[in-house]
Amino acid sequence: MSHIHLPDGVLPFWLWASGFIGVILIWTILLRSIKKEDLTRRLPLLGMMAAVMVLGASVEIVPIAYHVNLTVISGILLGPSLIFLATFVVNTILALFGHGGITVIGLNTVTLSIEGVLGYFLFQIFWKVLKSLTPAVFLATFVALLCSTFAMIGVVSLGTSHYEELIRQEKGKGIIGFDFGKEKEAHPSGPAAEEKVNLRRFIAIIVPLGFIGWVLEGVITTLIARYIRRLRPDLLRLEKESS
Amino acid sequence: MIQLSYLDYIAVEKKSFLHRLSPKLKIIGMVVILFLIVTVRNLPGLFSLYILLLILYFTAKVPLRIFPLTLYPLIFAVLFIFLSGFQIFFILLILSKVLCGSTGVVLLLATTPYPSIFSALGRVLPSSFVIALFLTYRSIFILLTVLEDTQHALYLRGGIQWKHPWRSLINISNAFGHLIIQGIDASEKMYESMVLRGFKGKIHYRGE
Repeated sequence: MSHIHLPDGVLPFWLWASGFIGVILIWTILLRSIKKEDLTRRLPLLGMMAAVMVLGASVEIVPIAYHVNLTVISGILLGPSLIFLATFVVNTILALFGHGGITVIGLNTVTLSIEGVLGYFLFQIFWKVLKSLTPAVFLATFVALLCSTFAMIGVVSLGTSHYEELIRQEKGKGIIGFDFGKEKEAHPSGPAAEEKVNLRRFIAIIVPLGFIGWVLEGVITTLIARYIRRLRPDLLRLEKESS
Repeated sequence: MIQLSYLDYIAVEKKSFLHRLSPKLKIIGMVVILFLIVTVRNLPGLFSLYILLLILYFTAKVPLRIFPLTLYPLIFAVLFIFLSGFQIFFILLILSKVLCGSTGVVLLLATTPYPSIFSALGRVLPSSFVIALFLTYRSIFILLTVLEDTQHALYLRGGIQWKHPWRSLINISNAFGHLIIQGIDASEKMYESMVLRGFKGKIHYRGE
């Protein structure tokens, strides 16, 4: 749900361009902070986890337009720096399959890496406090997804004036101004209200669907973490495990 | 995503004028399509672009089997319809932009083998990013093989049934867990074999 599944050409130029600039800046800083040998050694792992995320994104729960991201579990396994690089790669590959526009790769990377990085740090905190894997992973995933969904809503809301401009542009021309639904009855303030972007309705649809997704992904991530702990506990790096 | 291997197969095996065209030219073409998607704000213009892409799709003999891939992003685009107050122009504008973008991208991937795309991208993008892209793409195929085996195991354990949601969730999660563990093991082997072949942080592509 944290993905901005907007097509190319809907967000204003300044918004998606700043997404790219932000990602390039973070990428450059990260590349300078990670040792070259370290990065070279971990690139195949990064590629493999990115591939897992791409495969996760292909499992679509159509009624709620949701797919698992597996960003939090990847963040826990890769760490905060590599998960950022991995999300950039994942978003590029997904965009190459029409899953989100190519121009929104930068913004998608920012929101998705919020999920991965937050997930990693929240898991560390919850693990220290709760000392139990199941609630720690579930809460970390739930909160991380909640934050990234609201980050996505924030990004979409930044383009409000641009969407209104798109709607007004056609109204002015009067070529196809037909609108359906009962908007006039719902908003009696007149035609000007119809030209406005209805962000509240957008949030009212996204948040309940997102909630189902956060819980679902929280459960799946927890079960995956438990499976990994059973077979390869070293991958989770839980040295201070109480049990 | 399962169709990825088929997409890759037709990019290599099919022979049409678009397949023979230089990858550089096709990437430039894709950039032009993106530029048009971003700048064109009228429906006739976008419809014309879509029709042009459809003509290219069919003249390049890209199989109909992968055509649904171009429609897949519409699922997500539907959510953004609610932003507009159901303005038909806004809806059609978004849908046409989605279709143009996805058809262009599928056309590029169905007519250009991925090493050629990454090789062309490697000239303008940082090498670490292009290597990561290449390894991810390679890893997807490795994981798809693992996934095939996992599907049999999943089926034997009851598979995914809406009647038994909890069991289905456990099965899906175990499948992903298995995929991650197998993937990590495979990545370690992949790195060792890459080092044996002289990998020092850069992948060299043979000519187009």
